[in-house]
Amino acid sequence: MEQIALFAMQFGAKFVLNPEFVVKTNQRYYLINPRIKKLMCKDFFYSGLYLGQFKNDVFFPSFNLLNMIAKVATNKVFLDKKTAWLFICGRDIFRKGITTVLGIQENGSFTLIINEFGECLGFGQIIEKMDSSGDRIVIRNILDVGDFLRREN
Amino acid sequence: MSSKQFFIDRYQKMGWSFKDVKARQAIRLNLVNSKGKNLPERLRKLGVNLEKVPFLKTGYWVGKSKVSAGATAEYLLGLYSIQEAAAQIPATLFTNLKNKKVLDACAAPGGKTVQIADLMGNTGSIMALDVNARRLSALSNHLERCHVSSAIVYNLDARRAVGLNMKFDRILLDVPCSGNFASDPQWFNRRTIADVAYNAKVQREILTKTVECLAPNGEIVYSTCSLEPEENELNMDWAISNLNLRIEETKGPGTNGLTEVFDQTLDKSLARCRRIWPGDTQGFFACKLKRRVEDNWSK
Repeated sequence: MEQIALFAMQFGAKFVLNPEFVVKTNQRYYLINPRIKKLMCKDFFYSGLYLGQFKNDVFFPSFNLLNMIAKVATNKVFLDKKTAWLFICGRDIFRKGITTVLGIQENGSFTLIINEFGECLGFGQIIEKMDSSGDRIVIRNILDVGDFLRREN
Repeated sequence: MSSKQFFIDRYQKMGWSFKDVKARQAIRLNLVNSKGKNLPERLRKLGVNLEKVPFLKTGYWVGKSKVSAGATAEYLLGLYSIQEAAAQIPATLFTNLKNKKVLDACAAPGGKTVQIADLMGNTGSIMALDVNARRLSALSNHLERCHVSSAIVYNLDARRAVGLNMKFDRILLDVPCSGNFASDPQWFNRRTIADVAYNAKVQREILTKTVECLAPNGEIVYSTCSLEPEENELNMDWAISNLNLRIEETKGPGTNGLTEVFDQTLDKSLARCRRIWPGDTQGFFACKLKRRVEDNWSK
Protein backbone atom coordinates (compact mmCIF):
# COMPACT_ATOMS: atom_id res chain seq x y z
CA MET A 1 0.00 0.00 0.00
CA GLU A 2 2.84 2.28 0.90
CA GLN A 3 4.40 1.57 -2.49
CA ILE A 4 1.15 2.51 -4.24
CA ALA A 5 1.11 5.80 -2.30
CA LEU A 6 4.75 6.40 -3.27
CA PHE A 7 3.93 5.67 -6.88
CA ALA A 8 1.11 8.24 -6.78
CA MET A 9 3.41 10.83 -5.17
CA GLN A 10 5.61 10.75 -8.27
CA PHE A 11 2.76 12.57 -10.00
CA GLY A 12 2.25 14.99 -7.13
CA ALA A 13 -0.77 13.08 -5.88
CA LYS A 14 -1.40 12.55 -2.18
CA PHE A 15 -3.19 9.31 -2.14
CA VAL A 16 -4.32 7.20 0.80
CA LEU A 17 -5.97 3.82 0.39
CA ASN A 18 -7.76 2.21 3.30
CA PRO A 19 -5.85 -1.08 3.85
CA GLU A 20 -9.10 -2.67 4.98
CA PHE A 21 -10.33 -2.45 1.41
CA VAL A 22 -7.22 -3.46 -0.50
CA VAL A 23 -6.77 -7.16 -1.24
CA LYS A 24 -3.96 -9.01 -2.95
CA THR A 25 -3.67 -12.18 -4.97
CA ASN A 26 -0.66 -13.30 -7.06
CA GLN A 27 1.09 -9.95 -6.46
CA ARG A 28 -1.94 -8.17 -7.92
CA TYR A 29 -3.73 -5.54 -5.82
CA TYR A 30 -7.44 -4.73 -5.89
CA LEU A 31 -9.54 -2.05 -4.27
CA ILE A 32 -12.80 -3.49 -3.03
CA ASN A 33 -15.90 -1.96 -1.50
CA PRO A 34 -17.79 -3.23 1.58
CA ARG A 35 -20.37 -5.05 -0.58
CA ILE A 36 -17.69 -6.99 -2.41
CA LYS A 37 -15.76 -7.62 0.78
CA LYS A 38 -18.74 -9.35 2.36
CA LEU A 39 -19.07 -11.74 -0.59
CA MET A 40 -15.45 -12.59 -1.34
CA CYS A 41 -13.97 -16.03 -0.91
CA LYS A 42 -10.22 -16.46 -0.71
CA ASP A 43 -9.53 -18.06 -4.09
CA PHE A 44 -10.67 -15.17 -6.25
CA PHE A 45 -9.02 -14.42 -9.59
CA TYR A 46 -10.04 -10.75 -9.84
CA SER A 47 -12.03 -8.53 -7.53
CA GLY A 48 -13.30 -4.96 -7.41
CA LEU A 49 -11.06 -2.38 -9.03
CA TYR A 50 -7.68 -3.65 -10.19
CA LEU A 51 -4.90 -1.34 -8.94
CA GLY A 52 -1.74 -2.90 -10.34
CA GLN A 53 0.90 -5.52 -9.66
CA PHE A 54 4.45 -5.97 -8.52
CA LYS A 55 6.91 -7.73 -10.79
CA ASN A 56 10.45 -8.09 -9.42
CA ASP A 57 9.72 -5.36 -6.89
CA VAL A 58 8.66 -2.92 -9.60
CA PHE A 59 5.09 -1.62 -9.43
CA PHE A 60 3.06 -1.70 -12.65
CA PRO A 61 -0.08 0.41 -12.21
CA SER A 62 -3.44 -0.37 -13.73
CA PHE A 63 -5.29 2.20 -15.78
CA ASN A 64 -7.91 2.30 -13.01
CA LEU A 65 -5.22 3.51 -10.63
CA LEU A 66 -3.88 6.05 -13.12
CA ASN A 67 -7.41 7.43 -13.49
CA MET A 68 -7.74 7.72 -9.73
CA ILE A 69 -4.37 9.45 -9.51
CA ALA A 70 -5.29 11.78 -12.38
CA LYS A 71 -8.11 13.24 -10.28
CA VAL A 72 -5.63 14.58 -7.70
CA ALA A 73 -2.28 14.67 -9.51
CA THR A 74 -0.42 17.90 -10.26
CA ASN A 75 1.97 16.55 -12.91
CA LYS A 76 0.05 16.41 -16.15
CA VAL A 77 0.80 16.99 -19.79
CA PHE A 78 -1.98 17.63 -22.30
CA LEU A 79 -1.51 16.51 -25.90
CA ASP A 80 -2.99 17.50 -29.21
CA LYS A 81 -5.10 14.97 -31.12
CA LYS A 82 -2.37 13.56 -33.38
CA THR A 83 0.20 13.25 -30.61
CA ALA A 84 -2.36 11.55 -28.35
CA TRP A 85 -2.93 8.97 -31.07
CA LEU A 86 0.81 8.39 -31.52
CA PHE A 87 1.21 8.06 -27.75
CA ILE A 88 -1.34 5.25 -27.49
CA CYS A 89 0.51 3.56 -30.35
CA GLY A 90 3.50 3.40 -28.00
CA ARG A 91 5.42 6.44 -29.26
CA ASP A 92 7.38 8.97 -27.22
CA ILE A 93 6.21 12.59 -27.21
CA PHE A 94 7.65 15.47 -29.22
CA ARG A 95 7.51 18.96 -27.67
CA LYS A 96 5.39 20.29 -30.50
CA GLY A 97 2.54 17.87 -29.67
CA ILE A 98 2.14 19.19 -26.13
CA THR A 99 -0.53 21.84 -25.60
CA THR A 100 -0.29 22.34 -21.81
CA VAL A 101 2.16 21.37 -19.10
CA LEU A 102 1.15 21.31 -15.43
CA GLY A 103 3.30 20.60 -12.37
CA ILE A 104 6.94 19.58 -12.17
CA GLN A 105 8.86 19.70 -15.45
CA GLU A 106 12.29 18.52 -14.33
CA ASN A 107 14.18 15.84 -16.19
CA GLY A 108 13.50 12.40 -14.74
CA SER A 109 10.13 13.33 -13.23
CA PHE A 110 6.98 11.44 -14.12
CA THR A 111 3.85 12.92 -15.60
CA LEU A 112 0.39 11.74 -16.55
CA ILE A 113 -0.52 12.04 -20.20
CA ILE A 114 -3.93 13.57 -20.90
CA ASN A 115 -5.81 13.94 -24.17
CA GLU A 116 -7.87 16.89 -25.43
CA PHE A 117 -10.94 15.54 -23.58
CA GLY A 118 -9.15 15.41 -20.22
CA GLU A 119 -8.87 11.60 -20.26
CA CYS A 120 -5.77 9.89 -18.93
CA LEU A 121 -3.97 7.90 -21.63
CA GLY A 122 -1.05 6.68 -19.53
CA PHE A 123 2.13 8.13 -18.14
CA GLY A 124 5.64 9.03 -19.18
CA GLN A 125 8.96 10.32 -17.95
CA ILE A 126 10.29 13.77 -18.81
CA ILE A 127 13.66 13.39 -20.52
CA GLU A 128 14.23 16.90 -21.93
CA LYS A 129 13.36 20.41 -20.84
CA MET A 130 9.98 21.67 -21.94
CA ASP A 131 11.59 24.72 -23.55
CA SER A 132 13.33 22.42 -26.05
CA SER A 133 12.58 22.91 -29.72
CA GLY A 134 9.39 21.36 -31.10
CA ASP A 135 11.04 18.48 -32.91
CA ARG A 136 12.76 17.14 -29.76
CA ILE A 137 11.37 14.15 -27.85
CA VAL A 138 10.71 15.46 -24.36
CA ILE A 139 8.68 12.65 -22.76
CA ARG A 140 9.40 8.95 -22.90
CA ASN A 141 6.35 6.72 -23.07
CA ILE A 142 6.26 4.41 -20.03
CA LEU A 143 2.70 3.08 -20.21
CA ASP A 144 -0.25 3.86 -22.47
CA VAL A 145 -3.77 2.47 -22.93
CA GLY A 146 -2.71 0.82 -26.19
CA ASP A 147 -1.32 -1.79 -23.83
CA PHE A 148 -4.78 -3.43 -23.85
CA LEU A 149 -4.34 -4.26 -27.53
CA ARG A 150 -0.74 -5.42 -27.07
CA ARG A 151 -1.87 -7.79 -24.29
CA GLU A 152 -4.31 -9.44 -26.71
CA ASN A 153 -1.40 -10.28 -29.00
CA MET B 1 -25.43 -35.91 -47.05
CA SER B 2 -22.96 -33.19 -46.09
CA SER B 3 -22.93 -31.78 -42.60
CA LYS B 4 -23.99 -28.44 -44.05
CA GLN B 5 -27.00 -29.91 -45.87
CA PHE B 6 -27.97 -31.85 -42.75
CA PHE B 7 -28.20 -28.67 -40.68
CA ILE B 8 -29.82 -26.64 -43.47
CA ASP B 9 -32.55 -29.30 -43.71
CA ARG B 10 -33.11 -29.02 -39.98
CA TYR B 11 -33.48 -25.22 -40.23
CA GLN B 12 -35.98 -25.73 -43.05
CA LYS B 13 -38.00 -28.08 -40.83
CA MET B 14 -38.00 -25.36 -38.18
CA GLY B 15 -39.44 -22.91 -40.71
CA TRP B 16 -36.35 -20.94 -41.74
CA SER B 17 -34.79 -20.92 -45.20
CA PHE B 18 -31.02 -20.86 -45.05
CA LYS B 19 -29.29 -17.61 -46.04
CA ASP B 20 -25.53 -17.37 -45.97
CA VAL B 21 -24.98 -14.24 -43.88
CA LYS B 22 -22.27 -12.81 -41.69
CA ALA B 23 -23.10 -10.93 -38.49
CA ARG B 24 -22.37 -7.20 -38.64
CA GLN B 25 -19.89 -5.70 -36.22
CA ALA B 26 -21.57 -3.83 -33.40
CA ILE B 27 -20.59 -1.74 -30.41
CA ARG B 28 -22.28 -1.05 -27.11
CA LEU B 29 -21.84 2.27 -25.30
CA ASN B 30 -20.74 1.93 -21.70
CA LEU B 31 -23.06 4.52 -20.21
CA VAL B 32 -21.29 4.86 -16.87
CA ASN B 33 -17.99 5.70 -18.56
CA SER B 34 -19.29 7.70 -21.52
CA LYS B 35 -21.82 9.87 -19.69
CA GLY B 36 -21.76 13.44 -20.96
CA LYS B 37 -19.21 12.68 -23.68
CA ASN B 38 -21.57 12.53 -26.69
CA LEU B 39 -19.75 9.41 -27.78
CA PRO B 40 -21.61 8.58 -31.02
CA GLU B 41 -20.79 12.05 -32.36
CA ARG B 42 -17.19 11.77 -31.20
CA LEU B 43 -16.83 8.44 -33.01
CA ARG B 44 -18.43 9.79 -36.16
CA LYS B 45 -15.88 12.62 -36.15
CA LEU B 46 -13.14 10.00 -36.00
CA GLY B 47 -14.60 8.34 -39.08
CA VAL B 48 -16.42 5.44 -37.40
CA ASN B 49 -19.62 4.97 -39.33
CA LEU B 50 -22.42 4.14 -36.88
CA GLU B 51 -25.99 2.99 -37.37
CA LYS B 52 -28.31 2.67 -34.36
CA VAL B 53 -29.50 -0.87 -33.68
CA PRO B 54 -33.29 -0.39 -33.48
CA PHE B 55 -33.90 -2.95 -30.73
CA LEU B 56 -31.04 -1.84 -28.41
CA LYS B 57 -30.83 1.31 -26.29
CA THR B 58 -27.04 1.53 -26.40
CA GLY B 59 -26.13 -0.60 -29.41
CA TYR B 60 -24.81 0.57 -32.78
CA TRP B 61 -23.78 -1.31 -35.88
CA VAL B 62 -20.43 -0.29 -37.31
CA GLY B 63 -20.43 0.35 -41.04
CA LYS B 64 -17.44 0.73 -43.33
CA SER B 65 -15.16 3.09 -41.40
CA LYS B 66 -11.89 4.96 -41.71
CA VAL B 67 -10.63 3.52 -38.45
CA SER B 68 -11.04 0.19 -36.73
CA ALA B 69 -13.64 0.36 -33.95
CA GLY B 70 -11.43 -1.92 -31.88
CA ALA B 71 -8.42 0.40 -31.93
CA THR B 72 -9.63 3.86 -30.99
CA ALA B 73 -8.64 5.69 -27.80
CA GLU B 74 -12.34 5.72 -26.90
CA TYR B 75 -12.43 1.92 -27.01
CA LEU B 76 -9.21 1.61 -25.02
CA LEU B 77 -10.59 4.02 -22.42
CA GLY B 78 -13.63 1.78 -21.92
CA LEU B 79 -16.18 4.23 -23.29
CA TYR B 80 -17.66 1.45 -25.41
CA SER B 81 -17.28 -2.26 -26.03
CA ILE B 82 -17.31 -4.30 -29.19
CA GLN B 83 -20.27 -6.63 -28.73
CA GLU B 84 -22.33 -8.33 -31.38
CA ALA B 85 -25.88 -6.93 -31.46
CA ALA B 86 -27.77 -10.13 -30.57
CA ALA B 87 -25.29 -10.83 -27.77
CA GLN B 88 -26.34 -7.52 -26.21
CA ILE B 89 -29.91 -8.76 -25.70
CA PRO B 90 -29.67 -11.20 -22.74
CA ALA B 91 -28.47 -8.69 -20.13
CA THR B 92 -31.29 -6.32 -21.08
CA LEU B 93 -33.94 -8.96 -20.28
CA PHE B 94 -33.40 -8.70 -16.53
CA THR B 95 -35.70 -6.41 -14.59
CA ASN B 96 -34.12 -3.84 -12.29
CA LEU B 97 -30.48 -4.80 -11.87
CA LYS B 98 -29.56 -1.93 -9.54
CA ASN B 99 -28.13 -3.11 -6.20
CA LYS B 100 -28.75 -6.74 -7.05
CA LYS B 101 -26.50 -9.73 -6.44
CA VAL B 102 -25.84 -11.21 -9.87
CA LEU B 103 -24.24 -14.46 -10.99
CA ASP B 104 -22.69 -14.53 -14.45
CA ALA B 105 -22.07 -18.24 -14.55
CA CYS B 106 -20.11 -18.61 -17.82
CA ALA B 107 -18.60 -15.16 -17.98
CA ALA B 108 -15.45 -15.12 -20.17
CA PRO B 109 -14.53 -13.17 -22.20
CA GLY B 110 -16.69 -10.74 -20.22
CA GLY B 111 -18.73 -8.70 -22.71
CA LYS B 112 -21.96 -9.43 -20.88
CA THR B 113 -20.34 -9.06 -17.44
CA VAL B 114 -19.29 -5.53 -18.34
CA GLN B 115 -22.73 -4.84 -19.80
CA ILE B 116 -24.43 -6.01 -16.59
CA ALA B 117 -22.08 -3.85 -14.50
CA ASP B 118 -22.98 -0.89 -16.70
CA LEU B 119 -26.72 -1.58 -16.36
CA MET B 120 -26.20 -1.81 -12.59
CA GLY B 121 -24.30 1.48 -12.59
CA ASN B 122 -21.58 -0.37 -10.68
CA THR B 123 -24.01 -0.87 -7.78
CA GLY B 124 -24.61 -4.31 -6.29
CA SER B 125 -22.22 -7.13 -7.04
CA ILE B 126 -21.46 -9.60 -9.80
CA MET B 127 -19.94 -13.02 -9.33
CA ALA B 128 -18.34 -13.90 -12.65
CA LEU B 129 -17.32 -17.53 -13.13
CA ASP B 130 -15.55 -19.33 -15.88
CA VAL B 131 -14.16 -22.81 -16.01
CA ASN B 132 -11.46 -21.94 -18.54
CA ALA B 133 -8.50 -20.35 -16.73
CA ARG B 134 -6.94 -19.04 -19.96
CA ARG B 135 -10.06 -17.08 -20.82
CA LEU B 136 -10.02 -15.33 -17.44
CA SER B 137 -7.21 -13.02 -18.60
CA ALA B 138 -9.44 -11.70 -21.38
CA LEU B 139 -12.22 -11.24 -18.81
CA SER B 140 -9.86 -9.38 -16.44
CA ASN B 141 -8.60 -7.09 -19.20
CA HIS B 142 -12.17 -6.32 -20.16
CA LEU B 143 -13.10 -5.44 -16.57
CA GLU B 144 -10.01 -3.26 -16.17
CA ARG B 145 -10.50 -1.47 -19.49
CA CYS B 146 -14.11 -0.65 -18.63
CA HIS B 147 -13.34 0.29 -15.00
CA VAL B 148 -15.78 -2.23 -13.54
CA SER B 149 -15.57 -2.16 -9.75
CA SER B 150 -18.40 -4.45 -8.73
CA ALA B 151 -17.26 -7.87 -10.00
CA ILE B 152 -15.55 -10.80 -8.33
CA VAL B 153 -14.09 -13.38 -10.70
CA TYR B 154 -13.52 -17.04 -9.90
CA ASN B 155 -12.00 -19.80 -11.96
CA LEU B 156 -14.92 -22.11 -11.33
CA ASP B 157 -17.16 -24.44 -13.28
CA ALA B 158 -20.73 -23.08 -13.28
CA ARG B 159 -21.84 -26.56 -12.18
CA ARG B 160 -20.03 -25.91 -8.90
CA ALA B 161 -21.56 -22.48 -8.26
CA VAL B 162 -23.57 -23.91 -5.38
CA GLY B 163 -20.25 -24.21 -3.52
CA LEU B 164 -20.20 -20.40 -3.22
CA ASN B 165 -23.02 -20.79 -0.66
CA MET B 166 -24.86 -17.76 -1.97
CA LYS B 167 -28.25 -16.95 -3.39
CA PHE B 168 -28.41 -14.62 -6.36
CA ASP B 169 -31.17 -12.20 -7.38
CA ARG B 170 -30.23 -12.52 -11.04
CA ILE B 171 -28.41 -15.32 -12.86
CA LEU B 172 -27.12 -15.05 -16.39
CA LEU B 173 -26.61 -18.41 -18.07
CA ASP B 174 -24.97 -17.53 -21.35
CA VAL B 175 -24.01 -21.15 -21.59
CA PRO B 176 -21.25 -22.74 -23.71
CA CYS B 177 -22.92 -23.75 -26.97
CA SER B 178 -22.33 -25.00 -30.50
CA GLY B 179 -22.38 -21.49 -31.97
CA ASN B 180 -23.70 -20.74 -35.43
CA PHE B 181 -22.49 -20.25 -38.98
CA ALA B 182 -23.04 -16.48 -39.02
CA SER B 183 -20.24 -15.90 -36.51
CA ASP B 184 -18.00 -18.78 -37.64
CA PRO B 185 -17.46 -19.28 -41.40
CA GLN B 186 -16.13 -22.81 -40.76
CA TRP B 187 -19.07 -23.76 -38.57
CA PHE B 188 -20.53 -26.41 -40.88
CA ASN B 189 -17.14 -28.10 -41.20
CA ARG B 190 -16.51 -28.08 -37.48
CA ARG B 191 -19.83 -29.11 -35.98
CA THR B 192 -21.72 -32.38 -35.83
CA ILE B 193 -25.01 -33.29 -34.21
CA ALA B 194 -22.98 -35.16 -31.56
CA ASP B 195 -21.46 -31.80 -30.47
CA VAL B 196 -24.95 -30.38 -30.20
CA ALA B 197 -26.07 -33.30 -28.02
CA TYR B 198 -23.00 -32.97 -25.80
CA ASN B 199 -23.48 -29.22 -25.34
CA ALA B 200 -27.18 -29.69 -24.59
CA LYS B 201 -26.26 -32.15 -21.84
CA VAL B 202 -23.73 -29.77 -20.27
CA GLN B 203 -26.26 -26.93 -20.50
CA ARG B 204 -28.83 -28.99 -18.57
CA GLU B 205 -26.24 -29.75 -15.91
CA ILE B 206 -25.42 -26.04 -15.58
CA LEU B 207 -29.12 -25.16 -15.37
CA THR B 208 -29.76 -27.83 -12.74
CA LYS B 209 -26.93 -26.71 -10.49
CA THR B 210 -27.31 -22.95 -10.83
CA VAL B 211 -31.07 -23.01 -10.17
CA GLU B 212 -30.10 -24.04 -6.64
CA CYS B 213 -28.38 -20.64 -6.28
CA LEU B 214 -31.45 -18.61 -7.28
CA ALA B 215 -32.87 -16.34 -4.56
CA PRO B 216 -36.62 -16.18 -3.95
CA ASN B 217 -38.26 -14.13 -6.69
CA GLY B 218 -34.97 -14.24 -8.60
CA GLU B 219 -34.61 -14.30 -12.38
CA ILE B 220 -32.53 -16.44 -14.71
CA VAL B 221 -31.73 -15.39 -18.25
CA TYR B 222 -30.69 -18.33 -20.39
CA SER B 223 -29.04 -17.67 -23.74
CA THR B 224 -27.04 -19.35 -26.47
CA CYS B 225 -25.75 -18.36 -29.88
CA SER B 226 -26.82 -21.75 -31.20
CA LEU B 227 -29.65 -22.32 -33.66
CA GLU B 228 -30.12 -25.92 -32.60
CA PRO B 229 -33.35 -26.60 -30.68
CA GLU B 230 -31.67 -29.21 -28.46
CA GLU B 231 -29.70 -26.35 -26.88
CA ASN B 232 -32.63 -23.96 -26.83
CA GLU B 233 -36.35 -24.81 -26.82
CA LEU B 234 -35.87 -28.50 -25.97
CA ASN B 235 -33.67 -27.60 -23.00
CA MET B 236 -36.16 -24.99 -21.82
CA ASP B 237 -39.01 -27.48 -22.20
CA TRP B 238 -37.01 -29.90 -20.07
CA ALA B 239 -36.22 -27.16 -17.52
CA ILE B 240 -39.84 -26.16 -16.94
CA SER B 241 -40.79 -29.83 -16.49
CA ASN B 242 -37.91 -30.76 -14.21
CA LEU B 243 -36.62 -27.67 -12.42
CA ASN B 244 -39.80 -25.99 -11.21
CA LEU B 245 -39.24 -23.04 -13.54
CA ARG B 246 -41.56 -21.01 -15.70
CA ILE B 247 -40.78 -18.93 -18.77
CA GLU B 248 -41.46 -15.22 -18.50
CA GLU B 249 -42.76 -13.02 -21.27
CA THR B 250 -39.95 -11.13 -22.99
CA LYS B 251 -40.09 -8.58 -25.73
CA GLY B 252 -37.45 -8.13 -28.34
CA PRO B 253 -36.32 -8.85 -31.86
CA GLY B 254 -36.62 -12.18 -33.62
CA THR B 255 -39.42 -14.71 -33.59
CA ASN B 256 -41.23 -16.54 -30.82
CA GLY B 257 -39.57 -19.70 -29.57
CA LEU B 258 -40.66 -22.88 -31.31
CA THR B 259 -43.45 -24.93 -29.77
CA GLU B 260 -43.26 -27.69 -32.38
CA VAL B 261 -39.82 -29.14 -33.05
CA PHE B 262 -39.28 -32.11 -35.37
CA ASP B 263 -42.80 -33.48 -34.73
CA GLN B 264 -42.43 -32.95 -31.00
CA THR B 265 -44.96 -30.68 -29.28
CA LEU B 266 -43.50 -28.51 -26.53
CA ASP B 267 -45.05 -26.47 -23.74
CA LYS B 268 -46.96 -23.49 -25.14
CA SER B 269 -44.98 -21.10 -22.95
CA LEU B 270 -41.90 -21.78 -25.11
CA ALA B 271 -43.35 -19.17 -27.47
CA ARG B 272 -42.27 -16.57 -24.88
CA CYS B 273 -38.61 -17.26 -25.72
CA ARG B 274 -36.87 -15.20 -28.39
CA ARG B 275 -35.28 -17.00 -31.33
CA ILE B 276 -33.19 -14.91 -33.71
CA TRP B 277 -32.31 -16.35 -37.08
CA PRO B 278 -29.12 -14.97 -38.68
CA GLY B 279 -29.49 -11.77 -40.67
CA ASP B 280 -28.09 -8.46 -39.48
CA THR B 281 -27.15 -10.31 -36.31
CA GLN B 282 -25.80 -13.75 -35.65
CA GLY B 283 -28.21 -16.52 -34.66
CA PHE B 284 -29.32 -16.29 -31.04
CA PHE B 285 -31.72 -17.62 -28.46
CA ALA B 286 -32.71 -16.02 -25.16
CA CYS B 287 -35.34 -16.44 -22.52
CA LYS B 288 -36.11 -15.41 -18.98
CA LEU B 289 -37.03 -17.91 -16.28
CA LYS B 290 -38.41 -17.66 -12.78
CA ARG B 291 -39.36 -20.23 -10.20
CA ARG B 292 -42.83 -21.56 -10.81
CA VAL B 293 -44.05 -21.49 -7.23
CA GLU B 294 -42.49 -18.45 -5.62
CA ASP B 295 -44.65 -18.55 -2.53
CA ASN B 296 -43.14 -21.80 -1.29
CA TRP B 297 -39.67 -20.33 -1.56
CA SER B 298 -40.54 -16.97 -0.08
CA LYS B 299 -41.97 -18.42 3.13
